[in-house]
Order: sequence, then C-alpha cells, then structure tokens
Amino acid sequence: MSAAPSNDELRGLAERLVQFGRSCGADEIEVGIGDGEEFSLDVRMGDIENLIQAGSRSMGLRVIKDGKTAFASSSDLAPETLERLIRNAVKRAELSSHDPFAGLPELPDRRIDPASLDLYDPEVSELNDIIKIDLALETERVALADRRITNSYGASFGTHEIRSVLASSNGFSGEFRKTFCSLSLGLQAGETDDLVEDFWFSSETHFRDLETPEQVGRTAVERTVRQLHPRKIKTQRVPVIFEPLMTSSLLGFLFGCIAGTSIYQKASFLVDKLGQPIANDRITVIDDGLMPGKLGTSPFDAEGVPAQRTAVIEKGVLKTYLCNTYAARKLDLRTTGNSDGGGVSPNNFYLEPGPSSPEEIIRSCAKGLLLIRTLGHGLNPVTGDISRGAFGLWIEKGEIAYPVSEITISGNLGELLKNVEMVGNDLEFRGSICGPTIKVAEMTVAGE
Amino acid sequence: MSDTNLIQPVPFEDHFLLSTEDLQRTLAIALASGGDFAEVFLEYRAFNFVMMEEDIIKETAESVSLGMGVRVLSGEKTGYGYTNDLSPEKIRRAALAASAIANSPKTVASIHLRTLPLTHNFYRVGEAAHRIPLEPKIAFVKEAYLACQAADPAVKKIKAGIQDSIQFVTIANSDGLLVSDARPMVKLTCTAIAEKGVLRESGYSGGGGRVGLEYFRNARDPKDIGREAAAEAVGLLEAKDAPAGEMPVVLSPGHAGVLIHEAVGHLLEADFNRKKTSIFWDKFGKKVGSDLITIYDDPTIPAFRGSYNIDDEGTPPRKTLLIEKGVIRGLLQDRLSAGLMKMPLTGHARRQDYTDMPIPRMANTYIAAGQTPPEDIFKSVKKGFYADRFQGGQVEDSGKFTFSVSSGFLIENGRLTAPVKQATLIGSNIDILNKIEMVGADLTFSLQTGTCSKEGQDVPVMDGCPTMKITKMTVGGHT
Repeated sequence: MSAAPSNDELRGLAERLVQFGRSCGADEIEVGIGDGEEFSLDVRMGDIENLIQAGSRSMGLRVIKDGKTAFASSSDLAPETLERLIRNAVKRAELSSHDPFAGLPELPDRRIDPASLDLYDPEVSELNDIIKIDLALETERVALADRRITNSYGASFGTHEIRSVLASSNGFSGEFRKTFCSLSLGLQAGETDDLVEDFWFSSETHFRDLETPEQVGRTAVERTVRQLHPRKIKTQRVPVIFEPLMTSSLLGFLFGCIAGTSIYQKASFLVDKLGQPIANDRITVIDDGLMPGKLGTSPFDAEGVPAQRTAVIEKGVLKTYLCNTYAARKLDLRTTGNSDGGGVSPNNFYLEPGPSSPEEIIRSCAKGLLLIRTLGHGLNPVTGDISRGAFGLWIEKGEIAYPVSEITISGNLGELLKNVEMVGNDLEFRGSICGPTIKVAEMTVAGE
Repeated sequence: MSDTNLIQPVPFEDHFLLSTEDLQRTLAIALASGGDFAEVFLEYRAFNFVMMEEDIIKETAESVSLGMGVRVLSGEKTGYGYTNDLSPEKIRRAALAASAIANSPKTVASIHLRTLPLTHNFYRVGEAAHRIPLEPKIAFVKEAYLACQAADPAVKKIKAGIQDSIQFVTIANSDGLLVSDARPMVKLTCTAIAEKGVLRESGYSGGGGRVGLEYFRNARDPKDIGREAAAEAVGLLEAKDAPAGEMPVVLSPGHAGVLIHEAVGHLLEADFNRKKTSIFWDKFGKKVGSDLITIYDDPTIPAFRGSYNIDDEGTPPRKTLLIEKGVIRGLLQDRLSAGLMKMPLTGHARRQDYTDMPIPRMANTYIAAGQTPPEDIFKSVKKGFYADRFQGGQVEDSGKFTFSVSSGFLIENGRLTAPVKQATLIGSNIDILNKIEMVGADLTFSLQTGTCSKEGQDVPVMDGCPTMKITKMTVGGHT
C-alpha cells in the first residue's frame, strides 16, 4: 500500500485532487479533507473503564458536470483510491439529471483569518495522560462522596483536534485547526425501583475555559437528586419554563425548520413566512460563525463561504432562512455560510438573552412546570408539532414544590414562539445551539 | 441455501493488504503491556446512494470506508486504538494505544490464528447490489417516486432514495480466532409531503434488508413503498389532534415493535446489568410482566436487516430468549460483560464501524405471537387509542420510556374511528409489561429500515410484535 500523505501535505493533496478532477472532465470540483486526533477516557467507580486514542482522516468531494452533481467520500486516503473515486464521480454525474441550481458558490473576496477566531488551544494537545485521568477521576469522586448518589454512569474527559482543509475549482484553498475538550458525568440516585438519572457536562475550545471537576461533579449531583421521589400530576394546561438545555433543544428543532434545505422541500411549517412575524418581539435568534473561541465558530463553511453573523429572527420577524449555496439558489436568497457538505448545519445558533433572571422567572409562576429533561422524539418540522415525554419540577406559588415524572408536554413550535412571556439572562455557550431560560404562557402537560 | 446467496468474503489479505502474520504481530504488540485479551477488527465498506427529489435524480454518492480497530481488555478496563491508515507504523501506534490500560508487561505466548469456517449464511442475495451499476437502482427509485406522485394530487413534494452497502469484516483475537464476514444491505425509502390549504403533513415508507436487488422485484414493490408514503401523508391531513390522559391503548402489529425494543430490549443489554444501572439487574429469573409476554432477539432470521453471520467480535449469534411468560431469562451479551458476569456469549456484540468498541446491542427483537385474534382485541375496547405508526422512542435505565406516535386512531365501541396524529406514549417498563392484557396471533415485523442508536453508535435493527392491548397508558396529546 502506498504511503498516505503527511499532515502538511493535506492541502497540497486537496489542490492536486481538484486539478485531477478537472483533468477528468469535471466542470467544477470541491475537495475537503479532515484530519483528527481523538482522545477519550471514561472512568467509572474510581477506575479507568475505557481509553481510546486514535488518529483518522477522511475526504469528501463533490463533482459537477453539465449541471449534474455527484458526491464521494473515503476514509482511505491512498492516491489510487481517491483518483478512482473522482473518475467514478465524473462518470456517475452523467446519471444525475441536469439541475440549473447545482454548482459551487461564487466566493466573495472577503477572507477570514483563522487566527483571528481563536479556535486552537495548544494546551489541549499538551495535556499529559495523568492530568486527564485525574480530571475524570476527581469529577466522579466529588459526586460519589454525596450519599444520595447510588450509582455512576462514569465520568469522561475527551479532547479532539481537527485540521480541516478545503480546495475547490473556483479558486478557493484554505485550512484551519480547531480544538475541543469536554468533561462530563452521568449519575443515578434512588433505589432500584425508584431510580432517577441525569448528567452534566462542560465543553469548550480552550482547556482553561472548562468547568472544574468540582463544578461538573456538583452540578451533576444537584441535577440528579432534585428528581428523587417524583409525583404524578393530572392532565392540565399550565405555563412551562424551559431550562437553558431545554431551550437549546427547542432551538435545535427550530433550526431544522428554518434550514433552507427543509424550506425548498416544503418540509417545514415556516415555508413562505419570510418577512413575517413568526414569534413575539421578545424573540431574536442569531446564527454567528464569527464568535472567537466558540464551539460553532469556523472561518469558512464546507463550500469555502466565509463565516458571517446572520439575524434569523429579529424581534419576532423571520429575516432569512439559513442556507447553503444550493438552498439559497432554490429560494432566491444568499448563502449564509451554513453548508456542512451535504446539507446545512448551525454555526453558533442562539436565542438572544432577555432581562429576567431564572429565579425571577420561576417566581412569576403561580402554578406551572419547570421542564428539566425530555425523552423521545416527537418533533414534527412539517407541522411544528411537539409531543415529548418529560421530567420536571412542579412550581406552586412561585416556588419549586416537588419533582414530577411520567408526563408529556405537547404544543406547536409556531404557537409556542408567539407565547414566550419571559426570556432569561442566563445564556451560556455550551454547544453550537444555545438558549437561556424561557417561560411559555401555556402548554398541555399530560399526566394521569 | 443456494450458492448465489453467499457473497464470499474476499480473503482479507486482498482488501487490507495484511497477512495473518501481520495480525498476529499486532495482537502481540497489543498484549505486550499485559491484559487478558486482544482483538483486531478490520473493516472495508463500500456504499452507494441515489436520491430523487423534485422530479429529478438530484444526486448520487459513493463512499469507501477502510480501517482497523485494536482492542485490549484487562479486567473491566478497555483500551482502544484505531486507524484508517494501514501502514505498519500506524497499526503499531493503534496497538500501543490500546495497550495503554494494561500495566503488567509480560512475554506473550505466540498467537496462532486459525480460520473459523462459517457453515451458515443469513443473507439472501441473488443480485449483489454493490456489483451492479446505478441504472437499475435509479429505475427502482423512479418507480417509488412516480407511484407516490400518482397516488394522490395532494402529494406536493417527494423524496425517494436507494442505498446499498457491502461491509467486509475480519476479526482476529488472542484466543486464536480468525473469522471474516461479507454483509450486504439495501434500503429504499420514500418520504411524501401532502398539502391541503394551510395544512401540511408528511408520510414515510421503505423496505430492504440483507438482500440483493431482486428483492425489489420479488418481495417488495418500490411502487408500494411510494404509495404507502403518500397514503400516510394524505391520511394525516384529515387527522385530529391526539387525546391526552390515561386510557386503554392498542398497539399495531409490526410498527409497535419499537416499544419492545425501547421498553425492554435496551435494559436487557448486558452492560447496563453488569453495571447495575438497569432496573432489571437484580431481577434475573424473576417475573417482571404478564404471562402473555415472551420476547426473543434473533440475529439469525434470514434476510433481515438486523441479522449477521458473526457479531463484531466474531461470535456466531444465536436466537436468544430474553423474557419467557413474563420472566427474565436472558441478556444480550458481548465478550466483556459475559466474561465478567460468567455468562455465555449470545453473539450480540456490535459496532457502528472500526472507530467504535463493540457493545451489547439488539438485532431483531420481537414479542412472540399470542393466541387472540386481533379483532377480539379491538372489540374489547370501549374507548381508547390505537397507536399505528411510530417515529421512534427512548428509554432510560430506570425503565421510564417514551414513544412518538406519528399516526393513530381513536377506538370507540370496539371500532377504529377518527384518525389522530402526533402523540407521545409514556410509561415505566415493568408497569406496562404487567398491563399487557391481550396479545394477538398476528406477529408482524417493522419496515426493513430501522436504525438503533446507543452511545453514539448506529446499527441496523428490526423489531416486531403482534397486536397488543395495554390496560391503561398515558397518552400525551393536545386535547
């Protein structure tokens, strides 16, 4: 087997493959190569459980000939494999239909210097194994010291370093490096027939920003034990307060509904709603690929389009759909730099924080549900319908009264966005989709 | 079994350019720091895809995946390294990474790999899809698409796709096992979106399995797949919001198998029981449900999507009894848990690909048929909910689960009446297992398109069940 290219040669390889594709007859070609180093450690009950260390590479490409598109990908970077895949793709493109919207983007002159985005932390790769093992062990130890905790799913520490390279026949060639690190813990409390579980995590680009083992361990304990001895409740309509992770999950659903790819396929309840109010004026949603050091930041997307800040919903009004080049052409919009190669993905997609503290929001509620976890699917982008299993804390007279389980919440995202009564000031960027606490006027909570 | 059914595993030397000696050397490096067991997993997968949308063949794709994972077990510890560069120095690095959890350097007795010949074949392939050019696959996609379009003028958008893959695996371990498998898979799916005024609904159907392309001529007509997707979407346009509250629930045959997969199957995976996080861990041999309930997981059902000739540790699988008349009788095992629990292997160790460690997983899980005619089950319900099509479900180790129902019906005076949409069923598994009061004679399996997710790893699965009645269950709807 011929030797695979070394790291520094990856960009050269991508550029050569673009030339090779052109020489095979492709009108346009785009080649992306990823190179990753992964470290993942799980500890459980005070001992190492799993230790994974690996390096891996992958290549993905798109070929367009006569307005016909073909894709290919490989984890085998041997030149003969890559050249065969390109030759096959050029030939296979003939079998697709001519599509006037297909093709690579026209790129602006604007370029973003990856260094300005602060995406690479050398400390992540320099951490020695002893420190990593201690971080995970200490996180679990903090939690197991609490007598209310009866079992552990284990604590994990992981790092990931990636190098992304992209070259295309429209003259683009770029690369950037990015680091990730995370610390997490899952716990169980209660006895065998009355078990509750939860977890907590911290995930960052920079090691120095990661929460300490003490913080992760204590938060996981609190989140778990607060669910002990749940009660059932009667079916009723009440205000529902979403904790930040629950708002984030709701925003993930919203992202699927404002993705340009869903819109032209009519697979969203937000088709034909541009420029219209789809939420009340407390709601402003941003997608921002330029925020330094954040998990969803990158200098360019999978088509080489430079990152940008996009107001998606501004004071309740839908301003744009999030698009790759193809969806943008279908919808007569501009790409927003959200291509992930096949479809669209968020950059840093978040709900702007509001004025209220989470405590004020809870105090405002005479009776209601603080939603802390959901289970299951039950999100339908075509209708906006939401129906999920839920766990929560019941609120009475502005105070948390007791945990509730075996309930479902249901509603519709379109109605819900218009019924947000309060937005919290507690936005934190724990992932690429984030939101603060919100209070929704009324939803159906089904129980007994 | 005819010879045409077997895709002979290409000798692994041809795919991976490695010799038996290379594998023996890698296992020796992996065990050089100690450890109880070492294993090499080699994978080569080729994947093809065609997608039709907006009346055109919009894209095609080809994908190649090649790599090796090396695993070392030492007590309850697992070390894992992987690489997709099969050069000697990268393989050595993966083996050393896997060995990092062991710390009692020793001289390894030399490992002599012996090929395990397989005498069974659960795949049913006439025309191996990976060897066939795209044109006939495109023809099948068009059949499904056009049938969906023609089914009803309310259908406005359609997406149809066909994918096929062939996965060659070779597994070698320090016990001397050397075994290979060539696993075929095809899948054709269709999604329809129907509109009526401002209402918009979607429908889905599909088919496939560990079969060849002839399946779409002989066993499952792509036109039916298209029509079924259209019928679901159009039907939902007339559906009302689901009711909310506790009521009797009848589960549809086949589709509702996901309920057994979630509520019972996951919590009988050995790892959750070894770690005592599953609610079932202290209930082995005990009664947890109604006498009417007997549950199997069987990876040996011919042509099924969840079947395999060997699991991802090289163990030939067997049909495994999980629950017999309400009593827990078995767990789904992998080597790590079976060893630590001193229980026999069942052949349920699976992984998504070479980058993942194998973990205990389901394959084809089902509730055995009962004796009640399904019509008697409906007749017994005065007012209740019929859960027909499901989007999926989720369970946690405490046994609390949810299922998303995409479409169903109200049951009134023993008959299905108004169609309803989008409901969630929730409950606790032992509670529900005890409330199963009728089990139909009509065991049916789900569409051959299911995928199960656990710890970030996706694997193909199937599930099945007869029509069943649950005395009382919480339905989460709007009204």
